[in-house]
Amino acid sequence: MLAESVVSDVLAKARQGGASFAEIYVERWKRRNLRMLNGEVKEATSGLEYGAGVRLFYGTEVVYAYTNDLSPQSLLDVTDTLVRLRGQVGQPDASGKGGLDFRKAVAQGLHSPKIPLTAQDKRYRIERLQEAEAAARVGPEIKQVQTQLMEWEQEVLVANSEGVWAHDNRVRTRYYTTAFAQGEVGMQIGSAAPGLSVGLEIFDLYSPQQIGQKAGQQALTNLRAKPAPAGTMPVVVGNAFGGVIFHEALGHLLETTSVAKKASVLSDKLGEKIASDAVTYIDDGTTPHGWGSSEFDDEGAATERTVLIENGVLKSYMVDKLGGLLTGYRPTGSGRRQDYTYAPTSRMRNTFIAPGNTAVADMIASIEYGLYAKDMGGGQVKPGSGEYNFGINEGYIIRNGRIEEPVRGAMLVGKGPDTIQKIVSVSSDLVTAPGMCGSLSGSIPAEVGQPHVMVSEIVVGGQA
Amino acid sequence: MTYEQARDYLLKKAAEMGLEVEVLAIESREFSLRARNGALEEITQATQGGIGIRAVLQGKAGYAYSEERSPEALDWILAEARDNALLQSGSGAFLPEGGALGQHDLLGEGLSASAEQKRETALGFEQTLRSDSRVKNVMFAGYQETETFATLGSSKGVSGAYRNGYASIGGSAVMQEGSSIKQGWDMSVAKEFHALDPGQTALDFIEQTGRLLGAKPLQTGRYPAYFESKPFAFLIAMMGNFLLSGKSVQEGKSLWAKQMGQRVASEHFTLLDDPTLPKGLASRPFDAEGTPAQRTVLIEQGLLKSFMHNSETAKALGMPNTGNAYRSYKGPLGVASTNMMVEPGSGLQMTRGVILTELMGLHAGVNPVSGDFSVQALGLWVEDGQVAYPVENFAVAGNFFEMLKNITALGQTLEWEVGFGIVGTPMVQVAELSFAGA
Repeated sequence: MLAESVVSDVLAKARQGGASFAEIYVERWKRRNLRMLNGEVKEATSGLEYGAGVRLFYGTEVVYAYTNDLSPQSLLDVTDTLVRLRGQVGQPDASGKGGLDFRKAVAQGLHSPKIPLTAQDKRYRIERLQEAEAAARVGPEIKQVQTQLMEWEQEVLVANSEGVWAHDNRVRTRYYTTAFAQGEVGMQIGSAAPGLSVGLEIFDLYSPQQIGQKAGQQALTNLRAKPAPAGTMPVVVGNAFGGVIFHEALGHLLETTSVAKKASVLSDKLGEKIASDAVTYIDDGTTPHGWGSSEFDDEGAATERTVLIENGVLKSYMVDKLGGLLTGYRPTGSGRRQDYTYAPTSRMRNTFIAPGNTAVADMIASIEYGLYAKDMGGGQVKPGSGEYNFGINEGYIIRNGRIEEPVRGAMLVGKGPDTIQKIVSVSSDLVTAPGMCGSLSGSIPAEVGQPHVMVSEIVVGGQA
Repeated sequence: MTYEQARDYLLKKAAEMGLEVEVLAIESREFSLRARNGALEEITQATQGGIGIRAVLQGKAGYAYSEERSPEALDWILAEARDNALLQSGSGAFLPEGGALGQHDLLGEGLSASAEQKRETALGFEQTLRSDSRVKNVMFAGYQETETFATLGSSKGVSGAYRNGYASIGGSAVMQEGSSIKQGWDMSVAKEFHALDPGQTALDFIEQTGRLLGAKPLQTGRYPAYFESKPFAFLIAMMGNFLLSGKSVQEGKSLWAKQMGQRVASEHFTLLDDPTLPKGLASRPFDAEGTPAQRTVLIEQGLLKSFMHNSETAKALGMPNTGNAYRSYKGPLGVASTNMMVEPGSGLQMTRGVILTELMGLHAGVNPVSGDFSVQALGLWVEDGQVAYPVENFAVAGNFFEMLKNITALGQTLEWEVGFGIVGTPMVQVAELSFAGA
């Protein structure tokens, strides 16, 4: 994407300017987005994104610049500006030297599409979305169906003054179906949105019929659902996107982004028992075709499978390069960023709870009164206090050991360190699901996952 | 080539291809300084931008954009936008007629200050934050400025540009007292660097977050709710931008679609949108299609008066265009509020209930279609008209449509908040909401 001589010159210039470490990140995206409503194309968009980020360390002080003028002169000017800027507001020194021997690593295509995006035309895509829409119309109450397809192709080059040179290609495809149901008392929605690091085989892996039907049924269920109850009670959290509970309650607290500053309630706890025995939590950047997978992270390090918690004991944090410098922990290939407009920081990739051995039926049977949170929406956390929340898209009351009537409109809230101690049991039916995760380095694709999990008590934010 | 040259290239090429196009180019510059423990930990400097087109052919519209300005990239977006347009089945798409809108400078010398002054601002903010012994950790704190230059042009004669920008200080820190820990965040935004007051913003932060330490659980129940301006601004920005958007109305997603002129809120509630406010953070001379800025009353004393429109939604619904077209260079034409404002009232009388100081998880806990919301909250318990103690670990739930009708009073002071949009609102009192806690 950039000539080796240009990269060398930029890194050498930075080192001559006193930087202890220099990195250049270059990327080119091709993105396509197709939105349909009731069978008709509302908007089709295509785009090219192209830019570079130059990051310099002076010890643990960081200077970052980005631009989308990638001419050699512009990149050298940007680096010059950074060096001067740092000199202007920081302490200049001159320890750097040039001359680099890159160890070139190129992606092997571990997550490459089986059916490339070029294999079919746009008509093919429209037909698949129309199939999902037709399947979503499960009853006369379904008044509107919106479908959307996103295709992302990203080519990345990361090189740094330690000789790293990594070239990655990432293709991600996701489609959405949202059904709007209208009844006498108002409007409700249901949705489904599979996504992976794949091409058009997404439609084979998750058939439009299955996805459409799921969205339509969920909208109908919500239409007849009563308001959720309010108060503290036991909750069985469904598999797949249910994993968002751990993403918020636990995952974000294990990123060096907050751990390095001791701004996470779980800082300095390696080797300690922080969760119940039932919890083994893994962040895996290598899952074949995972939504959050890549061969290299956005700092050019090979991704890896990181066991974060094993049977309740904290084994590792998620560590990026700067986090590693600040804490002394070994980097785990977790440096990620939305795009060149953000400096990378430690982030989750594909993060999931390992399977346990409690049958879902036994979990439900053990509850006299509680909630079955079958499908989840997004959530949020404050790592400093551990206070987190996540929304329910589809839920049911558990009464006398049985799943009964549907309920809607409830958020679950708690404090992460408390909640992870209250995981009573984990089933064996692990499923993963895609999401977008927002943090300091922007919005990135991250997969969550879990089997069914039972929490002994959590606040359910329904109607009092 | 420059953005202006790229715009002219696209207009000329489009004409040769028989395409009508609207070209929007945005260039931005960013400078930010993050402080930690008395030193700068991160400095960011950037210039970035892109160019996006809406192309219309045979009454069909398609979109494409590029951050590269080579002739090859621009030819690619013209071809893609044409192909994308032809996928549409309708034939009602059009580009609005327009004229010369002029060049405007909304920023002036607003960001003129030395790097040294900006550094002092970032460091001063962080230092004052750390001055309170209950502040255990500053996650991030600093100064940021953004300057943008937007250029618009179309085959229908629209032509104009404006320069805008703002400066801000903000951060997030963890405070602790005994075993009680709270993480807060705050941001202060201004059109002028010299309007920022880092010491005061830091002291406000300490006050806002510190008052939540020692929070107790809240008993589940139904209580009167007193929204501070920040949480109410977030909720109204999110719901208002959905329910009042001509696009949601046109697509049958807004429950207010058929309620024009009817009562949707209590008589205390008036909501408007005004991009013409001098120094308004979201003020601008014209919208993303070149429609001149105008003030629009959306809800007046509880009655629904207007939706927000762009040319497409206004035409489709047979209503006047309010100049609320929104588009980033990357996205399709939409509708968005500018400076949205809830009119202040005559003041609240607190008796017993919960002052809501922050709502969390709005993206997951608010359903704009049904109006149901259930979100995590932080707040203060009020007893006998006085703040008794802070409360935590609870969710507040209700239905937005019912809540608006149950607004019983509004505070006298308008405060501007940033997040999900720019909204000015006083404190808002709601007769009763549901609280789930212990």
